[in-house]
Amino acid sequence: MASVTFRNVYKRFGDVTAVNNLNIDVADKEFLVLVGPSGCGKTTALRCLAGLEEISDGEILIGDRVVNDVAPKDRDIAMVFQSYALYPHLSVYDNMAFGLKLRKVPKEEIKRRVNEAADILGIRDLLDRKPRQLSGGQRQRVAVGRAIVREPKVFLFDEPLSNLDAKLRVAMRAEISKLHQRLQTTFIYVTHDQIEAMTMATRIAVINKGVLQQLDTPQNLYDKPNNLFVAGFIGSPAMNFFAGKLRKDGGKLLVDTGDFVVPIPASRAKPYESHAGKDIIFGIRPENIHDADFIPPNIDAEKVSVKVDVTELMGNEIFLYLVSGKNTFVSRVDPRSKLRVGQQAQVAFDMDSFHIFDAATEEAIR
Amino acid sequence: MPSISQTFDSLRSSQKFQKRFSIAIRLVIAVILIVFSIFPVLWIVSASFDPSQSLATQTSLIPSNASLQNYQRLFSKDPNYKFGDLVFEKWIWNSVKISGISTILSLMITTMAAYAFSRMRFKGRVTMLKGILLIQVFPNLLALVAIYVLIFQTGEIIPRLGLNTHAGLIMVYLGGSMGMNIWLMKGFLDTIPRDIDESGMVDGASHWQIFWNLILPLLRPILVVIGILSFIGTYGDFILARILLNDVNQYTLMVGLQIFTSGQFDQKWGVFAAGALIGALPIMIIYLALQDQIVGGLTQGAVKG
Repeated sequence: MASVTFRNVYKRFGDVTAVNNLNIDVADKEFLVLVGPSGCGKTTALRCLAGLEEISDGEILIGDRVVNDVAPKDRDIAMVFQSYALYPHLSVYDNMAFGLKLRKVPKEEIKRRVNEAADILGIRDLLDRKPRQLSGGQRQRVAVGRAIVREPKVFLFDEPLSNLDAKLRVAMRAEISKLHQRLQTTFIYVTHDQIEAMTMATRIAVINKGVLQQLDTPQNLYDKPNNLFVAGFIGSPAMNFFAGKLRKDGGKLLVDTGDFVVPIPASRAKPYESHAGKDIIFGIRPENIHDADFIPPNIDAEKVSVKVDVTELMGNEIFLYLVSGKNTFVSRVDPRSKLRVGQQAQVAFDMDSFHIFDAATEEAIR
Repeated sequence: MPSISQTFDSLRSSQKFQKRFSIAIRLVIAVILIVFSIFPVLWIVSASFDPSQSLATQTSLIPSNASLQNYQRLFSKDPNYKFGDLVFEKWIWNSVKISGISTILSLMITTMAAYAFSRMRFKGRVTMLKGILLIQVFPNLLALVAIYVLIFQTGEIIPRLGLNTHAGLIMVYLGGSMGMNIWLMKGFLDTIPRDIDESGMVDGASHWQIFWNLILPLLRPILVVIGILSFIGTYGDFILARILLNDVNQYTLMVGLQIFTSGQFDQKWGVFAAGALIGALPIMIIYLALQDQIVGGLTQGAVKG
């Protein structure tokens, strides 16, 4: 068990800066998820922590110890690889015992730990098999088991679920969460899947182009994204964005997108006053756009005329792809909605839940 | 008009016919190839049982006066017989020894070099790889004189590595076989995911432990292939051994056998054929023993499959 600290960490490959001034403090026993699009540097950051890549600048600490020059084997970490990286010629038992054997752990102790880990993961009856005789999900468990038996201070996961099918992924997600509660160890988990990040993390670090965008709890990331990238990355379907202007009209602050105009409620207007007349990006999540016939009570609804372009029936909800002038956007409406493709209709924006970003800096205005 | 089911039936039977026809063609081709490649072997077998010692008079595959005379002469120590002082068993042993040792040494060097080329990033890596390839372009034969002088000079300083020594010959073989094998081995190593190395690294293994415990077992198929190729290559080599060895007791099988055919009016083709057949035994034994090992797909299951 230990904290992990990235302090001004840089990693450069030639001219490319994969990790750019990364600063993260991971508390002991925390489940931190690094999330971002492909090639954003999240895996590189994890590999730097594991010691598989040397950092170009800065410091990485595990506990109180600077580990910049410490070999991977001496960092007291365990890593689960995306490809599982099981040793194909060794049985499941030997795969799990390999690290312990190298560390000259007594045979009895190895046996106890492997069996214990196998019990946790439900792979006790697979111990004699070779990796090629296992299914994807079972290999995944062995890879996790290999990490558990080491009893490391920090667990590293590099997109461990991306090779599993959708159903198994959901199940393993829950299991890894359970494992974290049970082991009470620091977990650092890399994924490109924001749903994995949202469901498992105690805190999420959103990374883009090597730069940390925001580090916060899942709920805060969702409710208060710092910038346009985080707002667009977290949530599915993604937040809708409308380029527009803030306009002042008779004491009222209006968002003018060119195709429609919505007023900002007086109660929320204050932070935006100073941006009146400037270019902004107006963001609203699909679930905050309602069918005008099914507006929930007690919200500040603002109606906008749209044309329905595509409907996607999900059963418990309907995704409507809407067009208003040059803007296309998604709304997630009540399943009873009668709106159909091609219809002209009215939808209601919930003006209690919107986001406004500075068009130039793409930072949130609060 | 035929019904749909009838059309279907005729289509199916014609497909069946096509299938049988293509199998028949393949069989014919296979039989031709087998006859083509097995005929010389049969001829040698026949010649080895023919005591007449002449290839010209051999008119049928089954000699009329077949006997084991040639085989007896091979191993005979009869001083009255012209080749009685030759040491056929010794030649076989020499050949097996030289081929065996150079194969094992060459596998060791090749594997370690290929591992370094595949896994480590160092200055001059690409240049060296290209250099190895370039050297391979020139056949060993071109360097014959140079090799002779090299070994001769070496022998002046270290007599055990000089002319007429097996160690010297092994050294030459080692140098010659390495280039292509390193490329072959590196190609195979490159297909083994680096994740395995890195996983081993995190698990606490040193470079050597990763190489020895994790990677080497996965190399078995290519080790067997390179091993066999290199054994056959050295076992069957004539020219280098002929040049570097000059004592009958030091001869390898290939050099020794040639004596039987070198007398101008005294060629013993029958004895030669018998010797060649016995000489082929070690290779056959190795093939049979290792044929199960030549299987790919051992890495299957390492990563997502």
